[in-house]
Amino acid sequence: MAQKLAFYPGCSLEGMANDYARSIAAVFEQLDITLVEIEDWSCCGATAAHSLDETMAVLLPARNLAAAEKMGLDIVSPCANCFNRLLFSRAMIRKKIYDIPWPVSGEIEVYDMTRFLARPEMVARIEQRVLKPLKGLKVVCYYGCQMVRPPRLTGFTDYENPLTLDRLAAAAGAEVLDWSYKTTCCGASIGIGRRDIQESLTARLLEKARETGAEAIVVSCPLCQANLDLFQRDRAPRRPHLPVFYFTELLRLAFEADKGSADWFRAHIADPVPLLRAKDLLR
Amino acid sequence: MTEKQAESQCEPAESPSDAPGRRRLIGDRGSHFLNRMEAETGANVAACYQCERCTNACPVSAYMDIKPHQVIRHVQLGWRDELLRSATVWVCLSCEMCTTYCPNEVGVAETILHLRSLSARSGIAPQERQLAVFHQTFLDELQRFGRVNEAWLMAALNRKPGILGEKWRTGQLKTELELGWTLWRKGKLKLLPQRCAAIHEIRALYRNRRGG
Repeated sequence: MAQKLAFYPGCSLEGMANDYARSIAAVFEQLDITLVEIEDWSCCGATAAHSLDETMAVLLPARNLAAAEKMGLDIVSPCANCFNRLLFSRAMIRKKIYDIPWPVSGEIEVYDMTRFLARPEMVARIEQRVLKPLKGLKVVCYYGCQMVRPPRLTGFTDYENPLTLDRLAAAAGAEVLDWSYKTTCCGASIGIGRRDIQESLTARLLEKARETGAEAIVVSCPLCQANLDLFQRDRAPRRPHLPVFYFTELLRLAFEADKGSADWFRAHIADPVPLLRAKDLLR
Repeated sequence: MTEKQAESQCEPAESPSDAPGRRRLIGDRGSHFLNRMEAETGANVAACYQCERCTNACPVSAYMDIKPHQVIRHVQLGWRDELLRSATVWVCLSCEMCTTYCPNEVGVAETILHLRSLSARSGIAPQERQLAVFHQTFLDELQRFGRVNEAWLMAALNRKPGILGEKWRTGQLKTELELGWTLWRKGKLKLLPQRCAAIHEIRALYRNRRGG
């Protein structure tokens, strides 16, 4: 299998989720998979285009699909929303009802990053690379909405109990706990105008994760990570922190245990370093 | 929003055609609105039999004045104006729970999102103004750079009329500044936006959309 993929980072990975971007680069290097960033990619339009202008919601991702087709590579997307938008656009391109200014057939594969890595052959490869399993780290995996729903678009058949992150966190050696809130919405960007709604949704997720006995949450969506992590910034005195890891951060830690440094986690609000040191997973 | 407010918003808005005794079962133009919505979204709106699964699955139905199953009923009956005036179209998270669990594959979230775009173009003042302005600002920034930078997006949002004043009054501004400082300290803010080299292609898309 040709181990070369077109990488569509999305806007978040240039800003708030730059730590996600760094860990992805490290993990894929370890796995000997070349990620080729789509040249001069542009924003997928996210919820805004979807909300206000459905035609733009097709055309904006189409530009990136066309660029990847030109490269002749399948796309892997680390961001749940980008993944969802690319698939939506691809489905519309196939219906051939839009006039798209770029040559695009909609025939390439678009992978969600967790799904690409959670296939059996990749999990086997990941397990081979693990230098130091993350023994004793109790985590719950949180998938959010856009990666799994609507299932007829995303292709997730296990949309009520998705397992891709669970498999990857387990491959890194963590103890993965089961819980019922894997795909319950975190509030997305509603906090912009309605902080009350945002906080009620996010607080419930953190509460349930603690009840389950988790010491950390594993995510793949930059917006979920921001919501869950930032919510904890001024509530430190009352509650113990619940670090929110990108799954690639855990994989990187398991791969490069000897080189692990607190600097990898400096972008976190809920600081994971004390937890990792207590578990003897970080120097 | 208090429960009482939410309740009062569930009452039909008072406009001449909605006055008691004068309300027609089907909207003024028969099933025109239903047909239009079905054609524009591909959602199977007529198939809804009000099982309320969408509303039960919705994480924010408590904050909605017209609940998801009622939205579908409103569309069936052609009650367009109530929908475009509702808070529902702005509160929806597009988490797709409703669509996923609908037994009749109605496409509830797609319907609500389409109503949002209709509402944005209708000239009706949105109930959640900040959210409405935010979505528009996002598209403005996208047109400017081809990509969206979080710091510039928030700055652009704050420059829109009335937003900064509202944030000042509600104390949101202070929270936001503190948040900004935290993000900066953690190295999560990128101050310089990345511009697409082919920004003209993106702008051409916008121009063509406006028929220019």
